[in-house]
Amino acid sequence: METLKNALDFSDFPRLDLTLAASVAVFLLVFPFFSHSSFAMSTLIQFLIFSLYGMGWNTIGGYGGQVDLGKAQYLGIGAYTTSVMLLRWDTPFWISMPIGILFSVTWSFIIGYPLFKLKGHYFAIATIATSLVLKDLFEVWELVGGSRGIEILAGKYQTPDFVHLIFKGDDYYYYVILIFFFIGILFMNAFRKSRLGFQLRSIKDNEDIARSLGINVHWAKIKTYAVATAFVSAVGSFHACYVKNIEPEDTMSLDISILIALMAMLGGAGSLWGPIIGAAVLVPLKSYLKEWLGAQAGMVGIDLIIYGAIIMIISAAEPRGIWGMVEKARRRKRN
Amino acid sequence: MKKRFAVVLPLLIVWTLVMGTQVIFAAEAVKIGVIYPLTGGAAAEGRELRAGAELAAEIANKSIPEIKMDMARRVGVASLGGAKIELIFKDHEGNPTLGADLAKKLIQDDKVIGIMGCYHSAVTKTVSAVCEEMGVPMINDSSTSPALTTRGFKWFWRTTPHDITFTRDLFDFLKGITEGKAMGIPAVPKAQIKTLAAACEKTEWGSQVSETIAVLSKENGFDLKKSLLYAAKSPDLSSEVRSLKSAKPDIMLFASYASDAILMMKTLKAEKAHPKMIWGQDAGFEAPEFRSTLGDDVVGILTRTVFAPQIGQIKDVSGQVNFLYKKNMGRDLSGASARAFTGVQTWVEVLEKAGSTAPAAIQKAANTITIPGEQLIVPWKGIRFAASGGDQGQNELGSGMIGQYQKNKEGEIVLEIVYPFDVATAKLIYPLKGF
Repeated sequence: METLKNALDFSDFPRLDLTLAASVAVFLLVFPFFSHSSFAMSTLIQFLIFSLYGMGWNTIGGYGGQVDLGKAQYLGIGAYTTSVMLLRWDTPFWISMPIGILFSVTWSFIIGYPLFKLKGHYFAIATIATSLVLKDLFEVWELVGGSRGIEILAGKYQTPDFVHLIFKGDDYYYYVILIFFFIGILFMNAFRKSRLGFQLRSIKDNEDIARSLGINVHWAKIKTYAVATAFVSAVGSFHACYVKNIEPEDTMSLDISILIALMAMLGGAGSLWGPIIGAAVLVPLKSYLKEWLGAQAGMVGIDLIIYGAIIMIISAAEPRGIWGMVEKARRRKRN
Repeated sequence: MKKRFAVVLPLLIVWTLVMGTQVIFAAEAVKIGVIYPLTGGAAAEGRELRAGAELAAEIANKSIPEIKMDMARRVGVASLGGAKIELIFKDHEGNPTLGADLAKKLIQDDKVIGIMGCYHSAVTKTVSAVCEEMGVPMINDSSTSPALTTRGFKWFWRTTPHDITFTRDLFDFLKGITEGKAMGIPAVPKAQIKTLAAACEKTEWGSQVSETIAVLSKENGFDLKKSLLYAAKSPDLSSEVRSLKSAKPDIMLFASYASDAILMMKTLKAEKAHPKMIWGQDAGFEAPEFRSTLGDDVVGILTRTVFAPQIGQIKDVSGQVNFLYKKNMGRDLSGASARAFTGVQTWVEVLEKAGSTAPAAIQKAANTITIPGEQLIVPWKGIRFAASGGDQGQNELGSGMIGQYQKNKEGEIVLEIVYPFDVATAKLIYPLKGF
C-alpha cells in the first residue's frame, strides 16, 4: 500500500515538471488518433523501448552509480525466452514474459554475486565480458537457432493476437509499450523513494559510510541489479514480438548495451526523468537526421557526424546530462 | 478591361488545356524502395550496389538503343504509359531491426510499389517478413542465404543464385583441378588440396555458408579440418587466424564483408599463413576496397562472383553497360553492382509485363516472367522464378563463376575468370605464392 502511494505521489516535483510530464503523457496517449507517418510511429515506439531500457539501467547505473555496460544480455534472455516458447509451445506472451524475467533475474543473481565484488572500471569491463560471453554461447546454441537466430512468422497468427502479442500494424504495439512505459515510471517513482533507493544513493555517495550505517552494500547492489534486469528482460520479450526476428548479433550486441547506458547518462543518470529525456533526444535525433541527411539526400555519413557531435557537446557542457543542465539552470535562477 | 479579358481568357484556356493534358498523360513515376548498407562495415559494397541500381534506373528511364537490351530501347515502363522508375534509397547499416522499420516507412509513408535489397541476408530476412505481412512485392538482388527462399513467401523473389549454387561451384572447381581441367596447370593430385579450413562471419549469411561448406565438403570427399564463425565487426582477428593456421589446411575458405575480409588477409599475412589456395564467398572479397587496400597481396586469391569485366568480350550487352558504369564511376562493374543492376532490370521487366502497379498484378507477372539470358549483363541463362516448391521465388536460371585476382600486362590487378573452365579468361595461379 505504501509502495503504491509512493508510486502515485509526484508531489516533490515542481509544478512545471508535472505539467510538462502530463502534457507529454496526453500527447503519447492521443498520438495514434491523429494523422501520422509510420516513420513517426516506429520512432515513438523506439523511444518508449529505450526509455524503459534506460529506466532499468538507471536503477543500478544512475541511483547506484555502478556503470553497467552489459544490459543487452538480459534483453537477449527475455527476447529468446518469448520467441522459443512461442515457436515451440505456442506459449502466450503474458506467460513467457514473466518466465523470461525469472530466467534473467536468476542469471543476474548468478553473475551479480561475483561481479559486485568489483568496483569502478573493473565492474564495467566485467559486465561487458559477461554479456559478450552469453552472446557467444547463444551463437552456438542450436536450440535458440545459433547465430542465425529465430524468426517469428506473423502469417501463422490470426491478428490482432493479444495473447501472443502478434499484430500487423504498429498501433497495437504502441499502446502495449506505452502501458509498459507508464508502469515503468510509476515503479521508478516508488523505487527512488524506497528503502533500497535510499540505500543505493548512500552507496553511490560513499560505500564505506553506507556500510558503517549498517547497509549490506553487496546485497543491495545485487538486488538492484536484479530490478534493472527485470525491466530490460520484459522489454526484450516485447522486442521479440515487435521485431519478430531475434539473432544474437542484432539483439545482444555491445552496441545495444552502450546505447542503453548512453541514453540514460546523456538524459541524466540518477533522476526519474533522465532516461526518458535521453531517449526522447537521441532516438528521434538519430532517426530524423538519417532521414533528412542520409541515403536519399545523398549525404550518407553526415547524419552520424552530427549525431556524434551533439552527444559530445552535451557531454562536455554538462557531465550530468540534460537533466543536470536543467537543475543547474534552476539553481542559478534561485540564487 | 473587357479587351484585356478577351486576350487573357483564351491564353488561360490554352494554358489549362496544355497543363491538363500533361497531367492526364504524364504517367506518375513508379517508386521502388531500395534498402542497402550505405554506412557501417559493408558501406563499400553498399556504394557499389547503389551505383549499379542507379545506372539501371537511368538506362530504364531514357532510350539508349545502342545497348542490346529491351529496357534500354524503351523510355520508362511502356505498359504503364512510359512511367519513369524512381528509386528511393535507405541505409540499413547492416541492422535487421532498422531494415524492418525502413521497409515499413517506404511502404506506408513513401508509398513505394515494391522493395529491393538488402544485401545482408539477415536484413533481407526481416524486410521480406514486413513485405510478406503487408502484401508488398520484394525482389532481392543480392542476398545469398539459401534459407530466404525456403519460407514459402508469396511476395518474395530472388534474382541472384544462392550460396548452395556458389559453394557447389567451388567443389566442382576443386574437382576440375584434380582432373586437369583448369587452364594452365596440370592435374593436381587430390591429396594436395584435400584439407580445408573455413572462417565465416556469424550472421544469417555467414552461418549458412559455413553449414553449406560443411555439408558439401563431406559430400565431395574433402576434409574440413576447422570451421569457425567470427564477428564481422571484430577489430582483431588474430586468434581466428591462428586457429585456422594451426589446422594446416591446403585451402582456406571465407565468407566475409569488406572490412573483415581486409583485416583477415592482413592478419594472415602478419601470421605468415601459407595456404595453397584462398577462396572468398564474394561480398568483401569483391569490394573495390579489398583490391585497393591490399594491393599486390590479393594476387592469386579466388572469389566467387557473378560478374567480371572480361564477360564483355563474349557478351556485348555486358561490355556496353560496363562501359557506361566505368564512365560514371571510374571503375568496372563488380559482382555487387552487376547484381543490383540486374535487380532493377528485373523490376522494370516485371512491371512491363504486369502493366499495373497493383500488388496482385506484379505478383502474377513475377511468377510467370522469363527474362532471356541475352538481356542480362550477368552470364546467366536468364531469370525465371520458381513459383512453388521448396525454393519458391528463387531464380532457377542463375549461375556463378569463380574469379582470381591476377596482374594483367599493364600491371593492373584484374579479376580473371577461372571457372567455369570453358569460359576461363586466364591461366589459374596455383599454388598461391603467399603474402
